[in-house]
Amino acid sequence: MSVIELHDVVKRYESGAQTVTALKGVDFHADRGEMVTIIGPSGSGKSTMLNMIGLLDTPTAGTVLLDDRDVTDFTEDELTEERRTNLGFVFQDFHLLPMLTAVENVELPSVWDTSVDRRDRAIDLLKRVGLGDRLDHTPDELSGGQQQRVAIARSLINGPDILLADEPTGNLDQDTGQTILEEVTRLKQEENIAVVAVTHDEQMLEYTDRTVRIVDGVIQQ
Amino acid sequence: MSIADTLWHFPSAMMAWRNLGRNRMRTALAALGIVIGVVAIASLGMAGVAIQQQATSNLGSLTNQVSVSAGQDSDYDGVTDDQVEEIRSLLTNAQAIPQKTNSTTVSSRGKEAYVSVTGVTDANALYDVTEGTAPERLQTGALISNSTAQQLGLELGDPVEYDGHLYRIAGLIDSSSGFGPGGGRGELVIPISGLADQQYYDSVTITADDGDAASNIANRLDEHFNSEGHEDEEILRVSSYANVQGQISSFMNTLQLALLGIGGISLIVASVAILNVMLMSTVERRGEIGVLRAVGIRRGEVLRMILTEAALLGTLGGLVGALAALAVGAMMFHVLVGDASAALQWSSARYLVYGFAFAVFASVLSGIYPAWKAANDSPVEALRG
Ligand SMILES: Nc1ncnc2c1ncn2[C@@H]1O[C@H](COP(=O)(O)OP(=O)(O)OP(=O)(O)O)[C@@H](O)[C@H]1O
Ligand SMILES: [Mg+2]
Repeated sequence: MSVIELHDVVKRYESGAQTVTALKGVDFHADRGEMVTIIGPSGSGKSTMLNMIGLLDTPTAGTVLLDDRDVTDFTEDELTEERRTNLGFVFQDFHLLPMLTAVENVELPSVWDTSVDRRDRAIDLLKRVGLGDRLDHTPDELSGGQQQRVAIARSLINGPDILLADEPTGNLDQDTGQTILEEVTRLKQEENIAVVAVTHDEQMLEYTDRTVRIVDGVIQQ
Repeated sequence: MSIADTLWHFPSAMMAWRNLGRNRMRTALAALGIVIGVVAIASLGMAGVAIQQQATSNLGSLTNQVSVSAGQDSDYDGVTDDQVEEIRSLLTNAQAIPQKTNSTTVSSRGKEAYVSVTGVTDANALYDVTEGTAPERLQTGALISNSTAQQLGLELGDPVEYDGHLYRIAGLIDSSSGFGPGGGRGELVIPISGLADQQYYDSVTITADDGDAASNIANRLDEHFNSEGHEDEEILRVSSYANVQGQISSFMNTLQLALLGIGGISLIVASVAILNVMLMSTVERRGEIGVLRAVGIRRGEVLRMILTEAALLGTLGGLVGALAALAVGAMMFHVLVGDASAALQWSSARYLVYGFAFAVFASVLSGIYPAWKAANDSPVEALRG
């Protein structure tokens, strides 16, 4: 059963007189335990599509189903709630908060909830990505690969169904990228989550279960 | 558990605190703006109080008194017993105390002092005794001013002589209070019988409840004795300090408003500085706030975080400013009133509270727009940078 589905999704950007149609009727789905990679040339709409899947943006037309629920017309506050509980994000630039330690960064998405064991879960997640000895380090004391692993731990803190990653290896060297991908693959199986990633990175295709190619806002079969 | 871990239970406060710590220089400069504003508003307010206290303490207790003496058109060279009775019949809630005055040289142990002599019966109503007692009715003893007693080496119980009679010193009085009869000169107060060779009273002092009552009484007496039937005659000279006091306090109110206005303007400048700093730091952190929103932090929580940041900035600046203003205020009170701790009286200390409250209020107010803007930014746009 698909945990996320896009049906005939269109996204248009209107800026002044110009209209850009970034997505021209896209269908997509991802299942639990599956890693789907979206590839395509620059400007083809990969990030736009990931934003739709990640409920960060709403489509101009079409339907978005999360766990079979139609979330297309959700308000911003409802979408925020879904992102918090069901989605995890990993970014190309890691995007950790510089004034927080590793463990605080991991806790961050849950910190406004009064859950009791989040510190334990954060420490557990950091150990699982091999950072058990870096809990109280701030991002500037960590390497790029370590920062990305903190970001991965952060994305899993609320026990999401889907992990979204926009070029997660884009700022890492070959070897580091590889360990990150191995980490993600392992966690995908352990947590039984869907991973949807956007990449330019050829080596990522070795880890992926399925590849979706998009060109000029249209999925290529 | 460390402080940070405890603070983490209040995520908005924790995040705000950490964010302020990131750019200490900028935080310090923004807080400095607030500090200056609070020091301005609070110390100017306290200055007003100090100046006012100094002015009223110079006038002493005279503001609620009316002094009556013979006018230039009087048939007598003093106030007569009949006139005293007439004055008393016009008073409801005030006491009229007739006095006879003279001056003399008091000597003791070879030293001499030139003093003014006042003959009065109800001495305790007119004088504050610093040592000893002022009897209800002064019939045998005498009161003498502190300075004169010191000068002549006189103590309680020692005799002083005036006009051939000896009086025992029953109490010491403060001679430096106000511009009272005698001015800076030493004073000797004896029973009125000691000045029996003067037929009339030199002055009648009327003590009312307050300045307003005193000026009412002054007007009433003036009307009764000086304008009834006979135009523009001055049978009795009626003077009160109440109108002086009124003028001073209305001047003070104006001064205080002007000072508070200046302080207020500096706080407004400070809040514009905070608005600028908050706006800059939220624009700088746009991507970060986008991440917060992406991982599911609610708009309200982002709003609260940034407002807390502004409030912390205001609290920090307000506290430092209030402390600095207290130091400035204590210094002003020390110089003007001679008592630094008077700065802690509510009448002046309240300006510290006002300054602090204004600082927090102005900071939160300046934080609203940047906070609202950051919270409602689209996460996608924010992440694109
Ligand atoms: N906010 C926006 N306003 C206007 N046009 C936009 C906006 N966001 C994206 N676009 C346009 O939509 C198209 C798709 O952009 P998108 O970022 O999805 O491409 P991409 O496939 O992720 O490219 P890259 O590989 O370079 O990251 C591009 O033509 C882009 O200019
Ligand atoms: Mg992209």
